[in-house]
Amino acid sequence: MIWMSWRQFRTQALVGVVALAPLAAYLLFTGLDIRQAYDRYQSRCEVADRCLDAMSQFQDDYRTRLLFLALLLAIIPAVLGVFWGAPLIARELESGTQRLVWNQSVTRRRWLAVKLLFVGFASMAVAALASLLLTWAASPYDKVSGERFAALAFGARNLTPIAYAALAFVLGTVIGLLMRKTVPAMALTILAFTLLQFLMPNMVRPHLMEPVTVTKAMTADALRELRGVGTDATVKGLSIPNAWVTGTSKLLTASGQPVDARTIDTCLTKPPQTAGGGAGDTAGCLGDLNLHVKVDYQPNSRYWSFQWIESAFYLALAGLLAGFGLWRIQRHVS
Amino acid sequence: MPQENSYPALQAEGLTKQYGKRLALADCNLNVPRGRVVGLVGPNGAGKSTLLNLACGLITPTAGMLRVLGSPPAANAAHLAKVGFVAQDTPVYGTFTVADHLRMGAKLNPSWDQSLADRRIAQVGLNLKQKAGRLSGGQRAQLALTIAAAKRPELLIFDEPAAALDPLARDGFMQNLMEFVAELGASAILSSHLLSDVERVCDYLIVLCASRVQVAGEVKDLLAQHHRLVAPRGELDRLPAEVEVIRMQHTDQYSRAVVRVAGALPRTPWSVEPVSLEEMVLSYMTRAAGVSAGLTDAMAGEAVR
Repeated sequence: MIWMSWRQFRTQALVGVVALAPLAAYLLFTGLDIRQAYDRYQSRCEVADRCLDAMSQFQDDYRTRLLFLALLLAIIPAVLGVFWGAPLIARELESGTQRLVWNQSVTRRRWLAVKLLFVGFASMAVAALASLLLTWAASPYDKVSGERFAALAFGARNLTPIAYAALAFVLGTVIGLLMRKTVPAMALTILAFTLLQFLMPNMVRPHLMEPVTVTKAMTADALRELRGVGTDATVKGLSIPNAWVTGTSKLLTASGQPVDARTIDTCLTKPPQTAGGGAGDTAGCLGDLNLHVKVDYQPNSRYWSFQWIESAFYLALAGLLAGFGLWRIQRHVS
Repeated sequence: MPQENSYPALQAEGLTKQYGKRLALADCNLNVPRGRVVGLVGPNGAGKSTLLNLACGLITPTAGMLRVLGSPPAANAAHLAKVGFVAQDTPVYGTFTVADHLRMGAKLNPSWDQSLADRRIAQVGLNLKQKAGRLSGGQRAQLALTIAAAKRPELLIFDEPAAALDPLARDGFMQNLMEFVAELGASAILSSHLLSDVERVCDYLIVLCASRVQVAGEVKDLLAQHHRLVAPRGELDRLPAEVEVIRMQHTDQYSRAVVRVAGALPRTPWSVEPVSLEEMVLSYMTRAAGVSAGLTDAMAGEAVR
């Protein structure tokens, strides 16, 4: 059965290797490039007050490229699900060859189990290699930026891409088994997996562990660091060092009530004139009100817990789907 | 052929398969002993493929019981090894070479007989290096047959094996098939919409029409039980209860009936003629088709005159 799996998979495997090789080469190149640049900027740090500036320039130089690579890595599992997963059974059903292979002395369940393991591990290996290279390449940047929980970066480093690949592959296979047509199965696979990858970082990941909640006083200085304050007392862009902010309450008064809209509006539109004048007035006006916000966050020290929990979640989902496929193929598919 | 065990090749009780509301096979009862070459005959859409796909476990019945070689179909790997199946239009992997197919057979079947496979492939002149996708229909059928047979099954099942083949390829295929059956000492079931495809080789016949088994039995028994009665018109209207009329035709002066009698035919004043297998099958098909007797039989009457 392993020979059979390999014989049917080898063309796809070859295509995969050919597609992966330039990506791997580019990641290697990027990794070396980033290291050189990092050393260059690091040398400026000998003069203490220029260090911060140098590191911020270093980040600017590589932010876009690493974001692009993270996006590419996010696509890899979907591609594996579509091209390795969806056709795995659907193509057999479409061409009728299941009537040949299911009448050899191997039960359907075993046939599927071997294929799932064989091609599944190949998918995970591809994702693991890409993730390993990108994690290595981006490590100087990640050390400087400290944004370990950024949605794209989190899913494109270390363990998570491997688990994504496993799930995408099994998802594609099971959709192919149910739909029995390769092309529609490919389309549905990409749709379902994209939806999941959108929901996960936005809806599920923030709640994987109970967040830490702190009360932060909104002094004029703190308000000046924000990206903005809405008329409905919402706060935008509040950050906590070495942490991923998952939720910020509205501006609250000392009694814990949201500050009323008219007060905010007054501070935003007609702040009382102070010595400085101009934009500083709004922050000063609000800062005088003795406001605070409640902030939920996940400290960066939980990074590896999150990596493990999310990977385990995806692998468990993949396992459940595989179990369903194995049950289904023996009972219902002709 | 070792036949110590008493299980039949195929045993069905009340076997029914429904696709949504469409009844593909209804209340099918069969008991086919081993060691037979069974012809499964019926028009297209009669349910032949459904019965054979049930028998090799590709589909599961809606109701009823089915045993193949004493076990539920495709019960486990050991049972799969005992049944060889060649599906309709003989599917093969287009990107595999002939040699790849033999390798697949060897890898997936513990009982694989490589020398048998090699010998047969050489005999039918297949090139091992050729991609199966580029084989002719006849060559593909031969390849599928070899894969099914080289695992040395006890029962070989063929779904319309000759339907897509030209007469020459069909002849070669049927000959090869019968050599396999003889060499393996296996039972075989072949379906066809044409009696002529299977008449030459089968010693057991199942007629399947309109999702139902019309008649089944050893060919020699069936021939002994069926007769054609010819009598002046109207005299065949009241026949004894043990005489089952399969088909009645009237001309102006005569009535002709194909009848089935389980035992000896009661003494009749009319002329009794033997019935060919073809006429018998045709009679059952006509009856099952439910075409109004008046219309077809009037036309048959024209033809007789």
